[in-house]
Amino acid sequence: MPTIEARGLTKRFGKHVLAVDNLDFDAIPGGVTGFLGPNGAGKTTTLRMLLGLVTPSSGSVLVDGHRYRDLSNPTTRVGAVLEASGFHPARTARNHLRLTALMAGIPFNRVEECLDLVGLSEAGNRKVGGFSMGMRQRLELARALLGKPDILVLDEPANGLDPQGIAWLRDFLRFYASEKTTASEKGRIVIVSSHLLSEAQLIVDDVIVLTAGRLAAQGRLADLLAGTSRSVRVRTPDAARLLQALRAANLPAAERDGYVVSEGATPEQLGPLMVENRIEVHEMASSTESLESLFFSLTGGEPSPGQAAAPVGDYRPFVEGPTFSPDPSSVAPSDPDRAQS
Amino acid sequence: MIRLLRAEVRKLWTIWSTYVVFGIVVVIDLAFGFALAFAPGGRHGGTAGIVPHGSQPWFTNVFSVLDNSRLLGLVLGALIITGEYRHKTVTPTLLAEPRRGRVVTAKLGVGFGAGLLLGVLTMVAGLVLGLILVLVRVHSCVWFGGVSQGMSHAMCSARQGIYYSANFHEMWHDWSQIAPGVILGTGLFAIYGIGLGALLKNQIVAIVVGLIFTLVVETIVTAIWPVIGEYLPGQAATALEDAARTTFRDNGPLLPWWGGALMLLGYALALSLVGTLTTLRSDIT
Repeated sequence: MPTIEARGLTKRFGKHVLAVDNLDFDAIPGGVTGFLGPNGAGKTTTLRMLLGLVTPSSGSVLVDGHRYRDLSNPTTRVGAVLEASGFHPARTARNHLRLTALMAGIPFNRVEECLDLVGLSEAGNRKVGGFSMGMRQRLELARALLGKPDILVLDEPANGLDPQGIAWLRDFLRFYASEKTTASEKGRIVIVSSHLLSEAQLIVDDVIVLTAGRLAAQGRLADLLAGTSRSVRVRTPDAARLLQALRAANLPAAERDGYVVSEGATPEQLGPLMVENRIEVHEMASSTESLESLFFSLTGGEPSPGQAAAPVGDYRPFVEGPTFSPDPSSVAPSDPDRAQS
Repeated sequence: MIRLLRAEVRKLWTIWSTYVVFGIVVVIDLAFGFALAFAPGGRHGGTAGIVPHGSQPWFTNVFSVLDNSRLLGLVLGALIITGEYRHKTVTPTLLAEPRRGRVVTAKLGVGFGAGLLLGVLTMVAGLVLGLILVLVRVHSCVWFGGVSQGMSHAMCSARQGIYYSANFHEMWHDWSQIAPGVILGTGLFAIYGIGLGALLKNQIVAIVVGLIFTLVVETIVTAIWPVIGEYLPGQAATALEDAARTTFRDNGPLLPWWGGALMLLGYALALSLVGTLTTLRSDIT
């Protein structure tokens, strides 16, 4: 069974930059693990330490119990797609893959299989210099798959892919992770780092969240989301009576934008209450927190700058606060005081 | 290691810069060779028609341009290692073989082979040049020498038979005196280039430092302190050639050929080792 374990993993660049700080994590086979964090959180550095490209200042990250540099033929154990990975522009795609195949002792017909898989067999004899970003990403994926590794590591793989490419990658990664192998009944380890949270939410089963080089959260995405706040929103002509009923039932109640909002409540709680009080309902919606807002609560960061309430120079951003927010529980700050600051 | 060597060989022939280096060698050999052969008032005598057979080291002088192949060997070696950093192909390379010392070792092996090949190509170009010069010299009596020297066409023709054989032997002798040295020197300069590349990592810096050191610094040092100069890479490569000692070339003191070979090998391996332990150990980000 493939394993990845990081223990006390730390990386300093120079004296002042602490990129990764005493990080412990394990990756679980059988699902896709999301490696999430804002820019500069240390995601890429951690992955590069895992792959032996960057030397940890202290601590270790082991692949199947060994340092990457001590693996006998790493191409057959770990496949990696990295952002800053390079191509000689004058070399053809096929030759690019054949170099790795030669180094790993992989027969050339596997190169053709992998080119087919990523849809590049037609372009195999073209020089990589003329490839689009998306084609390069797929070529790198083909290279990572050459050795049929039980561990696949992808750093921002969706970059440069078109929507069909992303959808294909999502399905492929899910299948690849869950596929049982001779070495592992539980499937493979697939780690995907991403800053596109909405995209990651569709792919990942487990998440490892980094903030400023530290572990902010780790676990199954479903479990993490279950523990977060939810809310129910109701549109009704009898708002006053509903508010009264909610308070009577000791549920949070507020009126906002013509809706009655109950933070932390579920539709199952509100439904009977409204039937009991014969309250007419025009619309009821519940929202669970998205990965995005979970992410902000974990990392303590602001929502994306476009949605921040603080003025940007002389300009007020388009979304000012909860007043214009379509969904009270979404990423816009819910505290009106914060909008003033 | 066989796998790594095969991959390094493929790396070389799948990019065009390798062919450019090989092409430049041929062009330089032929162009400078002809220029030197017919330069009026050159160091060792004038044009082909006037230089009588055997009196001056004409072929040796012309063949001295073939020494330049070592500079292209150095460039080739530097490209082999710094190209990986320039195009960031170092990432896939190190993913497949994380032990950097083994990667450098494979590059040294393939670089030496490629350098030898470059040397062989140089000497083949030199042979073609030499054969053309033999023809030119033999026929020059008819073409432009004879008339001015008051010889008739018949007199020139009568001399041609002797001239062919004598000139060819002279050319072949001068060629074979430098061939092994040039070939070995180019091979060793290629791994010297790999050593420089391993230490300096930046492509332009490695090539410029290598060329300036060889062409400028070394020339000055050798002129002022010949005793130190003979231990420097360029003079060590010159020491590989028999012709360097036995002819009119004034090279200053030189090591024995095996001493020169060991010096060059030492430079290449020392630079590679230091580079592997320092520069190449750094993080790939």
